[in-house]
Amino acid sequence: MREAGARTDRDLLRRYHERGDLEARERLIEQYLPLVRSLARRYANRGEQLEDLVQVGCIGLIKAIDRFDVDRGVELTTYATPNVIGEIKRHFRDKGWSVRVPRGLQELNVRLSQLLEQLTIQLERSPTIAELAKAAGVDEEDVLEALESGQAYTTVSLSAPAGQGEDSDLDPLESLGELEHEYEVSEDRAILAPGLRALDERERRIIHLRFWEGLTQSQIAQQVGISQMHVSRLIRRSLEKVREEIATGGNVS
Amino acid sequence: MAADAISLSIPHTEPFHGVARLVVGGLAARLDLSYEHLEDLQLAVLTVLDRHGYVTAPDVTVRLLVEPGLVGIAVGPVDVDVVRAELEREREDGVSLRRLLETVVHSVSLEERDGGHWLRLDKRVLAGSAEPVGEEA
Repeated sequence: MREAGARTDRDLLRRYHERGDLEARERLIEQYLPLVRSLARRYANRGEQLEDLVQVGCIGLIKAIDRFDVDRGVELTTYATPNVIGEIKRHFRDKGWSVRVPRGLQELNVRLSQLLEQLTIQLERSPTIAELAKAAGVDEEDVLEALESGQAYTTVSLSAPAGQGEDSDLDPLESLGELEHEYEVSEDRAILAPGLRALDERERRIIHLRFWEGLTQSQIAQQVGISQMHVSRLIRRSLEKVREEIATGGNVS
Repeated sequence: MAADAISLSIPHTEPFHGVARLVVGGLAARLDLSYEHLEDLQLAVLTVLDRHGYVTAPDVTVRLLVEPGLVGIAVGPVDVDVVRAELEREREDGVSLRRLLETVVHSVSLEERDGGHWLRLDKRVLAGSAEPVGEEA
């Protein structure tokens, strides 16, 4: 059975690598999504929501599919697993979360992130700190501390130069076609601003939606398919990147 | 009605900017503001504190003013020429100061007080948030 599956994988990989068949690539991604999910689950209690980690893991999966050497006698599962784990680990390492923030606060932050989504839907507006505290069964001060700790981990990885290395690749998730339905990047004047070149596609999209379209964080979260707190972190991180890009003269051609 | 005010003076170095963020958070909780309003206010304060050249003195003061339906933030002293130029800048290299601030607050202005210039930001906080503490219905 496994052998038949591997043959199908190999067939799809050949179709993609040799004929550029993007449908084959998407089928592979879909097939391996449960693997990504199961690997992401291992890391889900460390301060990030599972769905956010699944997205990060998908980047590793897509890189594995894109780089896979069909002529090697290795199965895609074997090759993809370390890629997915590596991407998730890099995500944590870049954020510096696990070493900087006490575990209790990390857990509360994750719970708050979930409660924020739930309460926003339930109340049809953004909840107050008191409402978040009540739902989490903690004091308001604990909520503020946990929110603050969530911000603490956003500033670590910003020194990485833009436009170099794997992490600055365009977000491969974009090519899944899930995120870009209504957004024509190339036509947007804002994208031409030199400082914004430091951002990847998803970051640019979020910045555009927030500061050009005037969408709220929760609206962006819905559109992009990530949590509101993740949107918040990405906005801060992106603004920081843009600031660094301009400050270091990265915009001077 | 006199506005309630909180005044925080901190060294103008990044580790202390988190203190300003926490104070804004504490005020937002006290006023029962929404999470999104809290985020907006924090981003506004940190933008002014973090961007290079706006505050040139070694210490910076963040004043938070609470009026019915409104939170005012004054940051200063700022270099009025630098901040004015940034606010009036037409060409955007990234997200301009004006675009960023006007997304998260309702009014942005420069004011002169205590022998210096301050950047004043006002945010209306009624919609989507509970009423500020102490406000009459």
